[in-house]
Amino acid sequence: MKRYFAGVDIGSTMTKVVIFSDRIEATIIGPTGPEHRKLANKVMEEALNLAQIRFENLSYIIATGYGRINVPFADRQITEITCHAKGLHSLLPTVKTIVDIGGQDSKGIKIKDGKVVSFVMNDKCAAGTGRFIEIMADSIGVPLEDMGIISLTAEKAAPISSTCTVFAEHEIINKLASGETIPNLIAGIHESVATRVSAMVKKLTIEQDVAVTGGGAKNIGLVKALEKKLGCSIIVPPEPLITGALGASVLAKEIFEKYEREGQMPVRSSCGLQEAKIFS
Amino acid sequence: MAEEKKGRALATKAAASIPKFVRGNLAATIKAKEEGKKVAYAYIADGQDEIMRAMDIVPAWGESFAGVCAAKRDAEKYLQKAESDNFSRSLCTYATCTIGFDMIRSELGVDIVPDAPWGGMGRPDMILGSAQLLCDPRFKWPQATQHYLRDVPIFVGAMYYPPFDPKLNHHEQEKFYVKYCTEELRECVKFCEKHTGKKMDWDRLAEIVELSDKTWDLFIDTYELRKAIPTPMDTGDAMNTMVPLTFNLGTQEAYDFYKQLYDELQEKVKNKEGVVEPEKYRLIWAAGLPSWFALGDFQYFNSKGATFPVEVTYRGCEKIERLELPKTSDPLEHIAWRWVRYWTHWYDKARKRPGSLPKVERIIEYIEEYKCDGVVFHSAFSCRSWHAGIIHQAETLKKVYKEIPILILEGDIVDISSYNEADTHNRIDAFIEAVDAYKSRMG
Repeated sequence: MKRYFAGVDIGSTMTKVVIFSDRIEATIIGPTGPEHRKLANKVMEEALNLAQIRFENLSYIIATGYGRINVPFADRQITEITCHAKGLHSLLPTVKTIVDIGGQDSKGIKIKDGKVVSFVMNDKCAAGTGRFIEIMADSIGVPLEDMGIISLTAEKAAPISSTCTVFAEHEIINKLASGETIPNLIAGIHESVATRVSAMVKKLTIEQDVAVTGGGAKNIGLVKALEKKLGCSIIVPPEPLITGALGASVLAKEIFEKYEREGQMPVRSSCGLQEAKIFS
Repeated sequence: MAEEKKGRALATKAAASIPKFVRGNLAATIKAKEEGKKVAYAYIADGQDEIMRAMDIVPAWGESFAGVCAAKRDAEKYLQKAESDNFSRSLCTYATCTIGFDMIRSELGVDIVPDAPWGGMGRPDMILGSAQLLCDPRFKWPQATQHYLRDVPIFVGAMYYPPFDPKLNHHEQEKFYVKYCTEELRECVKFCEKHTGKKMDWDRLAEIVELSDKTWDLFIDTYELRKAIPTPMDTGDAMNTMVPLTFNLGTQEAYDFYKQLYDELQEKVKNKEGVVEPEKYRLIWAAGLPSWFALGDFQYFNSKGATFPVEVTYRGCEKIERLELPKTSDPLEHIAWRWVRYWTHWYDKARKRPGSLPKVERIIEYIEEYKCDGVVFHSAFSCRSWHAGIIHQAETLKKVYKEIPILILEGDIVDISSYNEADTHNRIDAFIEAVDAYKSRMG
């Protein structure tokens, strides 16, 4: 009988679910948002529909991401650091360094055989995260998803000297008013984020291959800027948003099977597919 | 209004008695006037502890008071006060906290500052600074303090020790440094004599120095009991039990405290009573001062089955025998040798391992002897002298020793605005998972 496992990654901006058997059966990405945060069950329902299975068919569920404690139906919580490492390794086994640029933080992770060797995180400052780019995109009136491609047409990146997100926004508005082109400004924004992220990641001794995950990986301009700063090429996985959820689902399978080998059953959550009560 | 933090559970009875010690030290600075004693602003690891004790000078420790303000989450008013006079937030927050405190004292024109945590520090009669290599603010902190206490005389000594250079034989240089330190201490004595109107009792000083040596030995013997598995005490407690060594050196109370702690730990070892049950992971606190407002994070580690049987921070002593101190009848020269050798006794070991550093050798020795599975550093942004070298230490450790899991926590010693509990706990969670993976890899 085929067994199914699930990984639920509640990030600051997106919620991701992966249903896994011996391959990826379904992936769903939905917004987290203040209201959605308690609705991990809804995203899970969509994933189950896509995989055409019922909740009861899931043998083990792992929640990850900063909102992992708000998934009552998860059997276990594991941090996104471990899950990213596992997920990325299952997709790209040659990768030794992961750069994750999320909506609220950024991380560098060194891995060996799919396990975390060391990591660094920026969770103190919006500069160096996806949020910085999001705010700047709003300021210059460019859709977030267009930022990457537009920046590739820049003649020269306009330097952004402020590291504080609020002051950087002000600086960009001033530069715009004084005639700086949008592509140059966006390239400058990417360079600013890449500078901060690379300074953080270099605290680890970077070993190739290097991969980038998270929302930042979907921005080609940022990836190029990061490659320049790190001095090496960077691999972008096919769907960089789901590596955490994928890793959680792979870990769910491994943990379940380990218990099974030892002739035991893992402790399961007593909650059904329900929303978190913590926010109500 | 200050936000009071919930009480923190401690593993040992001895550690639980420390707040009384600290309150007692602060109260002594206030009572000193009634007792006709002089009060000196003093700074830890200054080499001047025994001189003060021998001359009945009551030390008022800025670092201790700032730590109390932070632990009570009541430091912000002093930090803001200092900031209002252009002291940057990036300066040492021990310094800016106490400078803000003295600014208020100066503005109010009072000896006792109202509403200070645990009564605050009494007004000093002198400032005994120590601008040694431990940290750079020590040069300017006492001088900046004097700006608000204009009539208070100041002495800033310097207790240097030879820098580590793998190509140089420090044994040849030590004598020069010891001579320099001894002269600095002699100047300190002269300064204290002048401002107390008393002559140094050299026999009494020699006795106090001998008591300090005994306390150093007892401290190490006590802490080595923590090698036991499970460990009977971790760093969460050690951040308290360091008080007598750090702030009461040269007193019988300090010695008696470690005797009490020794007995308690011995009993716990005998009964196999650990800090956590089961003890899954043993960690070393390898560098950095703690966030005094977040000491509860040690319990968070404990909740994951992790303990710290050893720390570098506040282990400010060594077995005297290990230091091989040259014999001298001059107690000041003895203090100077003890200070210099406290640092240099790692140098030979570091020289033998290419690319290593004395601080890294110390960490390696502790990892081996205390059987640690992971390394935790705390990078406190305002403690520049220490945290600037943490990444270098971490990298060197991995290069010359082995690929052991390392966590670098980020925060501050006093300034709570740098701290986010949820993010800190998230890092700890991820680190524990990495340590678990490391242990399973290592079998």
